[in-house]
Amino acid sequence: MHMAIQDDFPILQRQVNGHRLIYLDNAATTQKPSTVINAMNDYYTKHNANVHRAVHTLAGEATDGYEACRTSLKSWFNAERCILTSGTTEAINLAAHAWGHPQLKGRAIVLTEMEHHSDIVPWQMLAETFGNELRYVPVKQDLTLDMEAFEASIEGAGLVCVVHTSNVLGVRNPIEEIIEIAHKHGAKVLLDAAQGAPHCQINMTELGADMMALSAHKMCGPTGIGCLLVNEDTFQEMKPFMGGGDMIETVTLEGSTYQTNEHRFEAGTPRIAEAIGWNAALDYLATLNLEEQHLRLLNIARHVADALREMGMTVYGRHDDEDSSVVSFLHPTLHSEDFAHLLDARGVAVRTGHHCAQPLLNRLGISGTVRASFYIYNTMQDADEFLGHVGDILERFA
Amino acid sequence: MTYPEQLMELIEDFQSIEDRMERLEYVFDLASEVNELPVEAWTDSTRIHGCQSEAHVRVDIDNNNVRLYAGADSKLVQGLMGILTIAIDHQPIEIARTLTPDFAMTMGILNSLSPSRSNGFRNMFDKVMSEISEEE
Repeated sequence: MHMAIQDDFPILQRQVNGHRLIYLDNAATTQKPSTVINAMNDYYTKHNANVHRAVHTLAGEATDGYEACRTSLKSWFNAERCILTSGTTEAINLAAHAWGHPQLKGRAIVLTEMEHHSDIVPWQMLAETFGNELRYVPVKQDLTLDMEAFEASIEGAGLVCVVHTSNVLGVRNPIEEIIEIAHKHGAKVLLDAAQGAPHCQINMTELGADMMALSAHKMCGPTGIGCLLVNEDTFQEMKPFMGGGDMIETVTLEGSTYQTNEHRFEAGTPRIAEAIGWNAALDYLATLNLEEQHLRLLNIARHVADALREMGMTVYGRHDDEDSSVVSFLHPTLHSEDFAHLLDARGVAVRTGHHCAQPLLNRLGISGTVRASFYIYNTMQDADEFLGHVGDILERFA
Repeated sequence: MTYPEQLMELIEDFQSIEDRMERLEYVFDLASEVNELPVEAWTDSTRIHGCQSEAHVRVDIDNNNVRLYAGADSKLVQGLMGILTIAIDHQPIEIARTLTPDFAMTMGILNSLSPSRSNGFRNMFDKVMSEISEEE
């Protein structure tokens, strides 16, 4: 079965520096199956047109393809509203501008030390304008959020921004508890689900999140597209952020009126081919049992983490049942960047550096890690070959 | 361009190695060629900005000859510093100043590095050259 999945991804056939490609940088971006590549190629080959207004056949086909992505996303995540954006970063910036500007004046915002920069900087920028107090929930020694500190920080807050699953640690946060506490205190919750969404089926309505941001490219879809999922109440509180074509109802020299649906937040020509590609990615993922895949990949991550520890590495992760299959590690003497170069020379793609989570790494007292992250096409054979290369590198260079 | 003899030898060595891993291994070995700038001497003024690792250089002039002191927390980066040391350490200022980063392209070493490391090498080169100019 695993080989069948690998066969769906043409890029995995290539060699890198004379070695079989072992792609373990999935937390940064995933590879694309042929169905996604073909869907985008098919769109440009047969259906390319701008969406929504023209009456010709191609425009109708393009509109159907674009809107089908929105429909699929709403269904996949059981979400009430879906605004298509360029990715998670733009989705969070949209939340800050379209909802935060009108709703958060004078109110505190609760963030965590585990956030990606894209879930910190937009709120710092908002705070610069409106003077919001930013409260950061610390990460404890055991790599979990300090929930006591969270409870102590929630009073008077208007919004809680929390990452569903850490891109560095793979730790899945207690989202359900966070949402319950936040709502009890009248704060809304924005989930950064960029890492969580590819690994598990998130039911937004059941979870009770108010906003949720994610990207297509981390779940087999194309780069350049993501979304902000919003519940109806929050959606009605949002004010248009970017003005332009497609988001208006009427424009006169005196003023404009805006669309009432999601288009109100999608000014300009949208990412049509990317939406079609993302829809194909969702169709592809729907053919797999994601829960089964999650358990399989977590087992691989645990195996790798154990082996790396035995080789003398420090592993930053706990790999609990709901955590993602990310293994961040450091060797006591071999620099993480050097490690990545040496692995690349053997065809292994991993990530190094601060992973756009500098506050978290500061808390851990380090400046970077090597990160191997696994996804649906990775196998135990990939893991063992990776470990073999790591062992050889240590023998020669450490 | 004509390079100093010891640099020419190094360029030829690198050009003869085709395997990427062996090239990296060679760069690692060259880390020991630096005149070590100890960690205690690392300051903001010695720091090479734009480098993903901690990398520091200091240039002294001794009787019109360049003396390069360097150190990094990455052995690969220190290896690149070792290459630059072989290229310009003990060279008269006027010879050192004629060097351009093209020698690293000729050597083929930049192709074996990530774009960020290649940029880091250029930043290191620029910092060393600007310090030589300041010392003149």
